[in-house]
Amino acid sequence: MYYRRTLTDAQINRELLDVVLRTPMWWVVIVSILGLIVAGAASAFGFMMNQGLGVTGLQQPIFWGFFITNFIFWVGISHAGVMISAILRLSQAEWRRPMVRAAETMTVFALMTSLLQPLIHAGRPWRIFYWVFPYDWARGIWPDVRSPLVWDPTAIITYLTSSSLFVYTALIPDLAIIRDRSTGWRRTVYGILALGWHGNPRQWKLQGIAGILLSALILPVFVSVHSIVSWDFGVSLVPSWHVTVFAPYFVIGAVHSGVSAVVTLMILMRKLYRLENFIWEEHIDAVARLLIVVATAWLFFFWLDLVFALWLKEEQEMTVWHLRLFEPPWSWLFLVFIVCSYIIPVPLWMFRRVRRSFTWMLWTSLMVNVGMFLERLIIIVPALMRKGPWVFTYDTYRPSAVEVTLIVGSIALVAFLLMLFSKFFPLIPVWEEKEGQKLIDEVRVGDRVVPALVKEH
Amino acid sequence: MHNGEHELTAGPLPTHQDVARDVLGRFQELGHRFWGWVTVLAFLFVLGIVGFVIRLSEGFSDENRENWGYFVATLAFIVTTFTAMPVISAGLRLAKANWRRPLTRVTENMAITGLLVVLMLIPALIALPSIDGRLSIWFEFPLGAPGLWDIIGYGTLALIGLALLWAVALPDLAAARDHLPASPRQRVIGWLSLGWVGGLRQWRVLYQGSLLAGAMYLLTYPLVQTLMISDFHHGLIPGLKDAIIPATVVVNGLQGAVGMTLLTMYLMRRLGNYERYFSVEQFWALSKPLLAFSLLWFYFWWASFITFWYGRQPGESEVIRLLVLDEYRGALMISFFLNFIGPLVALVWNPVRRSVWGPALVGTGVVIGALVNQVRLYVSAFSVEDPSLHVMDPRPATQWPAPPDLLIMIGAISGCVLLFMLVSKIIPVVSIWEVGEGLRLVKVRRYLNRYARVIAKSH
Repeated sequence: MYYRRTLTDAQINRELLDVVLRTPMWWVVIVSILGLIVAGAASAFGFMMNQGLGVTGLQQPIFWGFFITNFIFWVGISHAGVMISAILRLSQAEWRRPMVRAAETMTVFALMTSLLQPLIHAGRPWRIFYWVFPYDWARGIWPDVRSPLVWDPTAIITYLTSSSLFVYTALIPDLAIIRDRSTGWRRTVYGILALGWHGNPRQWKLQGIAGILLSALILPVFVSVHSIVSWDFGVSLVPSWHVTVFAPYFVIGAVHSGVSAVVTLMILMRKLYRLENFIWEEHIDAVARLLIVVATAWLFFFWLDLVFALWLKEEQEMTVWHLRLFEPPWSWLFLVFIVCSYIIPVPLWMFRRVRRSFTWMLWTSLMVNVGMFLERLIIIVPALMRKGPWVFTYDTYRPSAVEVTLIVGSIALVAFLLMLFSKFFPLIPVWEEKEGQKLIDEVRVGDRVVPALVKEH
Repeated sequence: MHNGEHELTAGPLPTHQDVARDVLGRFQELGHRFWGWVTVLAFLFVLGIVGFVIRLSEGFSDENRENWGYFVATLAFIVTTFTAMPVISAGLRLAKANWRRPLTRVTENMAITGLLVVLMLIPALIALPSIDGRLSIWFEFPLGAPGLWDIIGYGTLALIGLALLWAVALPDLAAARDHLPASPRQRVIGWLSLGWVGGLRQWRVLYQGSLLAGAMYLLTYPLVQTLMISDFHHGLIPGLKDAIIPATVVVNGLQGAVGMTLLTMYLMRRLGNYERYFSVEQFWALSKPLLAFSLLWFYFWWASFITFWYGRQPGESEVIRLLVLDEYRGALMISFFLNFIGPLVALVWNPVRRSVWGPALVGTGVVIGALVNQVRLYVSAFSVEDPSLHVMDPRPATQWPAPPDLLIMIGAISGCVLLFMLVSKIIPVVSIWEVGEGLRLVKVRRYLNRYARVIAKSH
């Protein structure tokens, strides 16, 4: 049952602010390792800029490969924050409390990482400004506002701004707690960031209103971001991309991968930061139930994509799907993708023992994200590998060492930023935990005492 | 049964016995008013049969396929609203929403309309052209397609709906059996109660069975909607490749179900004095998913439109002209306003959401919008001359309803309401045991300087 553990305010402060107020050795080691990997990836990027895009596996006609796949992957991961935080806040799901901050923060860092990918993909990053800024003021050459490649940065930057605001608004009461426990320059910095928070009724009321308003306002942005990413593909006439279902299919896929990433993050946080008093079996059980619904909805959209792709029996469309389903290595990757994204995890999540096992949930959530990365790769590359007029063989795409290094570097970058964040701010919201504790109650039903909750609103 | 939060006091809540006495008292009544409504509805239903017979006398052929467009649109409307309603109770029960308790039975009783849907499906399938030579979801696997599979799909949905209704109603059927004086009605109810005495094992089976049947209904409903839209709309319009449309009609179905639930609750408050059960809390809570489904409806429609708009392939351009820009523009505009703009503008305001009239009014609009949208989708599809072409040529003209079409629409909708009213005199329209259970799980306690509701987490 929920809320069986009663914690005092002092205990919550002590345990959640532990890493913020002191620096454990393991934290330094992990941050150093992640920093080295990020530095290695940055060097690979420097090498690529120096040598040109020839060091990647991109070649005609396949000009979208790992970088664009990674871009979509991280935009997808960023959907976790709003799903967990805004939607669960609006629906008053109590079990959201320990995971909201981590999910929101991961959203911000995943979005920042995703924005890097098109820059890297451009090879000459400064040229990307031509997409969104006038090429030449004097000649009046303007970016094409009808192009989804212009909508993309607009939507992502809007989402990044609103997500950052979302994180910051929810951080204010915790910043004040840290301010009151810090000395010297740290106290000054936290004092400025806390915006004079003292926790009076008016401030709490405004904080509550801001939380609800931001949750409601960020939802359309959340949906628009991955929809617009999907329209990068959908509004083109490339076979297998020109599909009306892409927008919701991408969004629900993003939620699937994002929420799975939150599960991975929660379990790792619990282990590293010793948060056993805050992250319980019940929490990952609840997320796993949510994942069953999300994954099944995602499967429905995947099925619609497949069935209606074959509907018109167009030769080029059939060829792409033939490649995906029957031609190695894509058929093997397809198999791994569908097995990892649905066939193994969802049936396992049907079992309560699996849902409540941190080990099982860690591996199954990781598996989902391997599958979802492959899904994006399978959507992109085989569609470009089609046999066009005057082309008699399939060109293939093999990611180079530089691309693989940059992908690994992007994962390390998000982890690195999260670790840095955790040094300065609590990864579980202190005030939300305290609020949750105050809403716990018990009700006698017949001869049993049953855990109960005070209804929030 | 629960008051809005602003009305909370420390006073005693009604007991399970109060609820049982009240609901069974109303259930027992079979007054003039009830029979009056039944007579009117039965008359309208007969008129619908007359309309159907007129259409039947004109026969089924490819030349007069458009005669059946409104009939199929009415069938789709029933699937989108009445038959979708058990999805609400199944979903809310799985989500353990406590406020669902007074309204679950209203939605489950509508499962009875599944029988009418199966009956209407047979002529609709006969009116459908052969799948030979045209695109269809069945590809090269005819084996009775689409008729056999559609009947299996719809039949399964109807059976699961009835199983859900019956399983969840057992305790209340037993209560009615023990409460009513001996009569043929009491004997039927006694037989339907399957000897329920409320043993521990029976309750366990009931809980598991209701969740299982609910989950199955939830999973079957999108599949049935996919069959309907692909066989009766998508496969008849040349050049149309719209993968999102099954999801759009599912969302439209969920929206229609919520709208119809709100409308039914409002009418029951006004005509049946059920204010105690269908309070502001139920309207307030249901208005939120209604708003969400309205936004989703637009989102799905837009995702489809923008892809076609940018694609500009000949087939797509003709489809957009038919369904959006030219022949059925008016129907789209009405649906767009009632299914999206209206709910958005009204329900973003908490005072409107937190009222009885607001969600009910928006819900009524949504139901009307759903009807107009089905006309747009199915009447247009049944008007296409040759579904085997690659591009629509020529585009069919707008088809307005003829008198038999109007009779069919009025008759079928009246038939659904009639079935609901009749079944509500066999199965109480408020779930006594669920409301009673809710009363045991909810306490009002002093919290800081006010009263708050404390909800026990059952199971």
